[in-house]
Amino acid sequence: MEETYIRQLLAANNICVTEGLQQLFAYFVTDPANKNLVNQILENQKRLMDQWALKIRLADQDMQEIVFPNATVGKPYEYRLDMAALQWEDIALLTIDGLETTGLTYDPATKGVSGIPVISGDMRLVLKYRLKKEAEDVPPHEKKIRLVVNPDPRSLWKNVPSDTTDPFWKADVACMQESLGAKQVVAASKRGRSHANNGGFREDDYLVKHWAETGWSLLAVSDGAGSAQYSREGSRLACTFIASYFDECMTAEWLATVDRLIKTYNNNLQDKATKALNSFIYETLGNGVLQTHKKIEETAARLNASLNDFHATLAFVLMKQYDFGYAIMSFSVGDGPVGLLDEKEKSVTLLNWLDVGEYGGGTRFITMPEIFSSGQFSSRFNFILMPGFSHLILMTDGIYDPKFEVEANLTRWSAWQRLIADLAGENEGRQKVTLERTAVGTEQELAAWLDFWSVGNHDDRTLMIVY
Amino acid sequence: MRRLPVYFLLDTSGSMYGEPIQALNNALSGMVNTLRLDPHALDSVWLSIITFDREVKEVTPLTELVTFQLPEITCPQSGPTHTGKCLEFLYEKVNQDVRKGSQEQKGDWRPLLFIFTDGKPSDLKLYHEMIPKVKQLNFATIVGCAAGKSADNALLKELTDTVVHLDTADSATLKQFFKWVSDTIEQGNKSMGTSEVIVLPPPPQELNLVI
Repeated sequence: MEETYIRQLLAANNICVTEGLQQLFAYFVTDPANKNLVNQILENQKRLMDQWALKIRLADQDMQEIVFPNATVGKPYEYRLDMAALQWEDIALLTIDGLETTGLTYDPATKGVSGIPVISGDMRLVLKYRLKKEAEDVPPHEKKIRLVVNPDPRSLWKNVPSDTTDPFWKADVACMQESLGAKQVVAASKRGRSHANNGGFREDDYLVKHWAETGWSLLAVSDGAGSAQYSREGSRLACTFIASYFDECMTAEWLATVDRLIKTYNNNLQDKATKALNSFIYETLGNGVLQTHKKIEETAARLNASLNDFHATLAFVLMKQYDFGYAIMSFSVGDGPVGLLDEKEKSVTLLNWLDVGEYGGGTRFITMPEIFSSGQFSSRFNFILMPGFSHLILMTDGIYDPKFEVEANLTRWSAWQRLIADLAGENEGRQKVTLERTAVGTEQELAAWLDFWSVGNHDDRTLMIVY
Repeated sequence: MRRLPVYFLLDTSGSMYGEPIQALNNALSGMVNTLRLDPHALDSVWLSIITFDREVKEVTPLTELVTFQLPEITCPQSGPTHTGKCLEFLYEKVNQDVRKGSQEQKGDWRPLLFIFTDGKPSDLKLYHEMIPKVKQLNFATIVGCAAGKSADNALLKELTDTVVHLDTADSATLKQFFKWVSDTIEQGNKSMGTSEVIVLPPPPQELNLVI
């Protein structure tokens, strides 16, 4: 080996060992002192090569991007460093500094960071390591790593009281329970977290009116548009005006006519009777809707405001029990579904279709004149004669979005069955609503139930149940 | 769950090299941290970052804020500004990403678009071709930001009525601007429930709204 090295060295310096010098060269390369020098050179070269390889490895390590997935306060977190995937098999020591107060710990055995984070923020962690080929007394190398811990969204919502001196102020929570003859009705409406967070108002509203002497009941639910400045008043007016319309409309003559038409329809499900009843409903309810629209328009004009400032949806049911069943008439504009449930038959009849746009939020309102001129106007009304039912449910999108998510689910019994089970206490907080005729305090239970948690769904919530 | 998609188009052409790109990175990081403290945003905001210089690069595809990790934005030392090509890319992406409501799927909220540039498009023809197409995408708002002396307000104005002009692209100004951007995103969240264009929060004094 020594001989080869010296031969190459001389050649590299253009020195030729001629024939006559061969013997001298043989002595030279076997001289122990020279052999020793060559060995030292080779050893130093190897050391240099190793040092270079180490520096390259550390530089690579420094460049390598390590991404810890984001954590969230209160949510169990676990992330393991995959040593093989990271090509870190040559790393001997590994610790992580900076986790001390986070609620997370590093386990050297599993190379995992886990725990339940207790503080949020943009954490800077320091990964300390040493390569296997390094001596144990070498100070460890450091690599900075970011770990983002999101706050717990539940802790971020504020509950700022609404301004009670506002002329259109309404209570943040409202609830009621009433008897409608053979049936009970319970309703609750609550300001959503998104409004509570900045001291906004509840924009939903509802109204129940029962005319005990005639047996008719009106059930109305309205949702004020988030963007309209007086929508909280719009939703209240929509409910109030439709109720006052029926108050006036229900003359002795009207009552006699509707009774006669419904009885004829029941006795004789023929085209003629259906047509007569349908046109009566269309006329009466249609007129009521138009009056409601006009009265809101008048109110807006009186207040020097725009009709658009009062944007609100409206869904209502006018209902009466006959000895042969329940006559149920309905109207709807907006995105609040009305479902008629029959638990025995495991069936649901959806009384309305929803105004939903291609993008979220593209709904229609009672305050939009174009709904009256649209060809779809007549399809907003419905009539159904049911021998019996278990629940009649009206809601705003604050309930529909989290509980049904998409329109297709509204026609599925399973989705409604889940809602009924949820109301019966099958939910995260075991919050139960006792839908029994003799129960008291059901309206308070329903108001409490409305506090359920659903990611991304923090709108006002209004739910009305006839049972 | 309804998402609020937010797109950022960032100019990374040569003129951004050095201090401006550093300032942009810091400002973006501040903005994301601010958004994380907003419960609305944490629940609904999805972010996408697309950069443009000679190349158009999707630095981060549409990702929910909860898992979003801001990458380091870098730029070459010189080169053209292919804004038109970027709009073309955006057009494809928005059509792919943004969910429309249907019987079986919840529609997203109308997306927001922020475009940040310190120059003017080098591919003017394509830029002009893309403007009407981008406008068709039904953004709830488009905010144009022209930073520095060579940024062209008028060309951005063709894309959107909301153009903010920053005199310099330094750290303090960009921070102000992106604070305003996060306010705007939060405003977008609050306006949910309407199909109308969102009302922008008043910009801080450092920003000049180009009328």
